[in-house]
Amino acid sequence: MTIARWTRRTLLQRTAFAGVALAAALAVGPQPVAAQALDKASVGVLALSSSGPIFIAKAKGYFEREGLDVTLSMFTSAQQVPVAVASGDVDFGVTGLTAGFYNLAAKGAITMIAAQSRDEPGFPLSAYVATNTAHAAGLAKPSDLKGKRIAITTVGSTFHYMIGILGQKYGFTVKDVTMVPLQDVPKMVAAFKGGQVDAILAPSTVARQLVADGAGQILGWAGDETPWQLGALFTGPKTIQTRRPVVEKFVRAYKTALAEYHAAFNVKDASGALVKGPGYDALLTIIADATKQKPEIVAAGLPYVDPNARLLIDDVVNQVRFWQSEGQVDKALDPKSILDLSFIGQ
Amino acid sequence: MPDPTNAPTNAPAAANIQGNPQPVRFRGGGFNPRRHPWAALAAFALLVALWEGASRVGLASPLFLPPPSAVGRALAGMIADGSLWLNLKASLLRIGVGWSLGTLGGLTVGLLMGVASVARAVGVPLVSAFFPIPKIALLPLFILWFGIGEASKFATIGFGVFFPTVIATYSAIDSVPRNLIRMAQSFGLPWGAILRNILLPGALPGILAGFRITASIALILVVAAEMIGAEYGIGAFVLMAGNLMQTDTLLAGVLVMSALGLTIGALLSLLERRLLVWR
Repeated sequence: MTIARWTRRTLLQRTAFAGVALAAALAVGPQPVAAQALDKASVGVLALSSSGPIFIAKAKGYFEREGLDVTLSMFTSAQQVPVAVASGDVDFGVTGLTAGFYNLAAKGAITMIAAQSRDEPGFPLSAYVATNTAHAAGLAKPSDLKGKRIAITTVGSTFHYMIGILGQKYGFTVKDVTMVPLQDVPKMVAAFKGGQVDAILAPSTVARQLVADGAGQILGWAGDETPWQLGALFTGPKTIQTRRPVVEKFVRAYKTALAEYHAAFNVKDASGALVKGPGYDALLTIIADATKQKPEIVAAGLPYVDPNARLLIDDVVNQVRFWQSEGQVDKALDPKSILDLSFIGQ
Repeated sequence: MPDPTNAPTNAPAAANIQGNPQPVRFRGGGFNPRRHPWAALAAFALLVALWEGASRVGLASPLFLPPPSAVGRALAGMIADGSLWLNLKASLLRIGVGWSLGTLGGLTVGLLMGVASVARAVGVPLVSAFFPIPKIALLPLFILWFGIGEASKFATIGFGVFFPTVIATYSAIDSVPRNLIRMAQSFGLPWGAILRNILLPGALPGILAGFRITASIALILVVAAEMIGAEYGIGAFVLMAGNLMQTDTLLAGVLVMSALGLTIGALLSLLERRLLVWR
C-alpha cells in the first residue's frame, strides 16, 4: 500500500524533512518533532504480552521521538502477521517463529531484523501439562513425554518445534511421539479434559487454569528445559531497500522500549529471584491496557527479552534445520539469508 | 422436430389460395440448448494458460498465486509419494460414513415429518433451531462427546448432512401432487402401497436434489472435521499446507477437492438417470 505511493519526489521530500527534523532534534536534544514531519509506518502485533515492548514504545512516544507515526494493527493469530507483512499491508511485524514464517521468508517475502521474546530459564511461558491419568501412570517429567500422545495447535507451530527441541535434548525425535493437531487452544483443552491425549503444551495462563481446575499436572516449562528464540521483529526486504531510514528509526525506538522492558521485568537478584525494576507498575499498566488483561495475569506471564534485541542465531539455524528435516521448509533455504541484523549491530 | 426446409409456411388454407407455397425458414428454437462439449474445456484451458502466462511474465507473484505448473508439480509429488491416495482414502471413508449416517437419519425423520402431521409440528421448529448452528463452533463439544478419533469426524459430517436432508425430504413429500394421493385413496389402495408407489417415487426428484446439496456440504465439512487431530485426510492436508504457507501445495489440495466434487456430482447424475427413468 504505502510503498506504491513512494515516488522519488516524496521520498526526497520526506528524507529532507527528516533530515531537517533530525538536525533540529539534535540541536535542542531529544523531543517530539513537528507532527507533519512524521514518517508513517505500521506494525502488525498480537494482543499478547510478548508484544509488550512495541506497546511501550507506542505509549511512551518513542516512535514519535524518532520521527515515526506508527499505527498498530492487531492480529489474532501468529500466522497472519508475516502474511500481512509479505502482502505489504503492514510494514513491520512481531510474532512467534513458525514453519509458515520460514516458508514466507524462503520465498523472499520477509526478513528478520531483531529479536522479540525468547524462552529463558525462570520465565514460565509454555508448560508441558500431563493429564491426571497419565501422571498417575508415570508421566512425571518432560523427558517422559517420549512415546506419548501430545496435543498441539498445528503442524509447523511453535509447539511442534518445542517438542522437537525437547526430543533433541532427551534423545528422541518427533516420530517417537504422537502429535495430535487440534488447530486451537480451546480444542486442545477439550481433548485434554476428555482424556483423549496424555499431555498438552499450553501457554502459562491455560496451563495454570488446568491445574486450578484439577484437570492435570504441570511437568515443567519449555523455558527451563529448552531455551529458544520464540519470536522476531521482521519486515519486507523491499522496505529495507527503499525505506532504510524508517527501519533504522523503528529499530532504535523498539530497542529503547526493549531496554526499559528488560530493566523493569527481566532482572534477577543474587538469589535468582525476579525483582521489580524501575517503572514496573507503569509499564505493566501499558501492557495490561494493550492486551486487555488484568495486570496480575500479565505479570505472571511476562516473557524474557534481550535488552539489545539480539537474536539467538544458533537457535534460528536449528529451527530452520528442524523444519527442513521434517520436510516442511524448503531444503534450499540458508537460514543466514533471511536475517539482516545490521540494524541492531549483531 | 419439424424439418426446417419442408416446414409448411402458413396454415394449409393460405397455401390453397396462393397455390405455390414459399418455403420459409424455421424461426423457432432460437434458445434451444445445444451441446458444446469443447466450449467448457476450451474456456478452462484458456483460463489456465492466462494464469500461467501472468506468472511467467511476473504479473502475479508465485507466493500469492502459484502458477498452474507449480500446482501440477505439487500434485505430481503427492501422487508419486503416495500421500494423495493415503489422504484421499481417509477422507473418502469419513465422507462416506458421515454422509450415509446423516442421510439415513435425515431420510427417516424427513419421511416421518412428511407423512405424520404431529411429527411435522414437532420437527419443523426443531430443525429451524438446530440447522443454523455452525458445526465448527461445536467442535470442542464433539471432542468431549465423541473423542478425537473417527467418531467425532463422522458426527461433524453427519450432523451437517442430516438437517438439509430432513428439509429436502419432507418438502419433496409435501410437493407430491395431492390429486394422485386422493385418487389412490379413493381406489382403496392400502397405505403402504400409496407410500411405495406414489409418495416415494414422487418425492425422489426432490430427495435427489437434496443429495446434491448434502454431498457438497459433506465435502466442505470434511475440512472442519479434519481439524480434530487428523493425521491424514485431504482436509487435514489443505489445513497443513495453509499453516505452512505452502501455497502451491494448498492449491493442489483444493484441486483434488473440487475434482472429488465433480466426481460425486457425475455419480449423482448417473443415479438420477437410473432412478428417475419413470419420468
